[in-house]
Amino acid sequence: MLIDILIPIVTMTALAVLFAGILAVANIAFSVEKDPRVEEILEALPGANCGACGYAGCAAFAEAVAKGEAPVNGCPVGREKVAEEICRIMGVSGEQESEAERHTARLVCQGTHEAAKTKMDYHGVQDCRAATLINGGDKTCPYGCLGLGTCVRACPFDAIQMGDDGLPDIDQELCTGCGKCVEACPKDVISMFPSSAEVMVACNSKAKGAPVLKACKVGCIACGKCVKVCPQDAISMVDNLAVIDSHKCTNCGTCIEACPTNAIVRV
Amino acid sequence: MQEILLIFFGAVFFNNFVLNRFLGICPFLGVSKRIETSLGMGMAVAFVMTLASIITWVLQGLVLNKLGLEYLQTITFILVIAALVQFVEMFLQKVSPTLHKALGVFLPLITTNCAILGIALLNIDFGYNLLQTIVHALGAALGFTLALILLAGIREKLEINDVPDAFAGIPIALISAGILALAFSGFVL
Amino acid sequence: MSLKTEVVRGIFKENPIFRLLLGMCPTLAVTTLAINGVGMGLATTAVLLGSNLVVSALKKVIPSQVRIPAYIVVIASFVTMVGMIMEAFMYPLYEALGIFIPLIVVNCLILGRAEAYASKNSLGKSAVDALVMGAGFTLSLTVLGIVREFLGAGSIFGLTLVGEGASMPVIFALPPGAFITLGLLLALINGLTARRSKLSAACQDQALAKREG
Repeated sequence: MLIDILIPIVTMTALAVLFAGILAVANIAFSVEKDPRVEEILEALPGANCGACGYAGCAAFAEAVAKGEAPVNGCPVGREKVAEEICRIMGVSGEQESEAERHTARLVCQGTHEAAKTKMDYHGVQDCRAATLINGGDKTCPYGCLGLGTCVRACPFDAIQMGDDGLPDIDQELCTGCGKCVEACPKDVISMFPSSAEVMVACNSKAKGAPVLKACKVGCIACGKCVKVCPQDAISMVDNLAVIDSHKCTNCGTCIEACPTNAIVRV
Repeated sequence: MQEILLIFFGAVFFNNFVLNRFLGICPFLGVSKRIETSLGMGMAVAFVMTLASIITWVLQGLVLNKLGLEYLQTITFILVIAALVQFVEMFLQKVSPTLHKALGVFLPLITTNCAILGIALLNIDFGYNLLQTIVHALGAALGFTLALILLAGIREKLEINDVPDAFAGIPIALISAGILALAFSGFVL
Repeated sequence: MSLKTEVVRGIFKENPIFRLLLGMCPTLAVTTLAINGVGMGLATTAVLLGSNLVVSALKKVIPSQVRIPAYIVVIASFVTMVGMIMEAFMYPLYEALGIFIPLIVVNCLILGRAEAYASKNSLGKSAVDALVMGAGFTLSLTVLGIVREFLGAGSIFGLTLVGEGASMPVIFALPPGAFITLGLLLALINGLTARRSKLSAACQDQALAKREG
């Protein structure tokens, strides 16, 4: 009786130790470098390896997401929760800060129908990527938002809606920081910002002051006033555009008052 | 000799693992969206199936039968398969990164693939010797790959056609698989 | 998390077969007869319950790196036990299900629930989850089994419903019929649920229009 119980226990234990031993040795002997994001994404996935995503298992899907080939919401078993997790992982990967801070997408342009001039009447395909091929789009400012909604359609979370003023409105609560809109925008006028950055330069124009004034009422003319008044020395002028260093900025808002064209705003 | 050939072609056509025995359906539906992934999956399955069949056959004869532990078959076999897949993945990653890029991504999917456990169990059920086991495994893998590639070809064509919304994706793939199974059932001796 | 929402979740919203598309192999293989479908569903539910309970009880003990092999061993043990019980007390069913009883261990549903739910929730919740997902699985298998048995053999649960000379399309009891029936059922479900969401979207549009107008 006792021997009947002992034999299977000993056998299974022996087999388990054997397999574990082989795997442990193999793990050391065959170790290789890997992208850390893939591990994180793999953690977030349900791990059922069912193949329903169209990829061969969770690891394949995780790698594809890290490379940017797979959609973040491609896992039908994990669905919204997993998609949000993956977005967070992918969005945070850029900045190497001590804490992973929430990043959201913001439009770096205030060129509404009212404020910005147009150089032509565009009647083509209602997509920014198409419009930008025709001499950079209908806005006089070559760096401005064209307002045809490519980003609206790119957002998998419905966080972007087209406003009546001709600019997309990105809901900061719904935005998960997945970065799909940043990728989709042909003008590169959407960027990721840390949620702690309350003050931002809402202009994308690298043109000198005079052409900017001709093209738009609220553009950055690189006058340098903000650079001078900033008590933290957080602003610098790069390519005729004011850039705020989020590490130094304390959101005091002095620059907002100083800016003559109201190009700097509080979000 | 004739028996070996019968086992081989039987596993490929008459008793096709996917279309006849219903083993390996999950990856069959999941991976068959593109022909290249299907080919990769097929090769990975062939590799793991053959190795797993050999190891489980040896274990059954040397350990389980000798010690009267046949009832531990399921647990032992699945452990062997899980460990084997893990080992093969690590081995491939180190020894051949290119092969790992091509096949490695399919390996975790194969652990919970009923086709692998299925073939291991069938080999024992049918009482095959070692040579017959290997041939059976190779045939089954080839049959699996064949079915996979055929369905992938059909699905690639379906992608660019006008499928009604309710049928799009898995339903139409299943119906196509059914018609494919109908064709394969014509291979009756 | 009320019992009612859990049950609705297991049977409808996250139905393992029709929504999550897990556990396809036994679904297609054993549903030639409705009673086989029920038997397989109940066996799977038993394994699911056992493994969910054990995984939940041991969730703090099992190290993360070896959790998948550990879960597999737990599931395999329960499968062996359920198989032995069926062989002893329900031999006809055991023979009918054949190789698919040990194959319950690789049913992605069970490993998926263990990984996604039981490893993160309490014993009670895991048990409820196992029962509702198992119920959804069993129900789906039964539905598919009834359709295929009726179309293939003209009977439901062994009760012949058609006349003596009637010849039913036996194809539905064979592999091709399995694929086609499941495909058609899935399409039906997709069509019904899409229509419901399209309807609710239309209602929303109307409500919005009324509010603005």
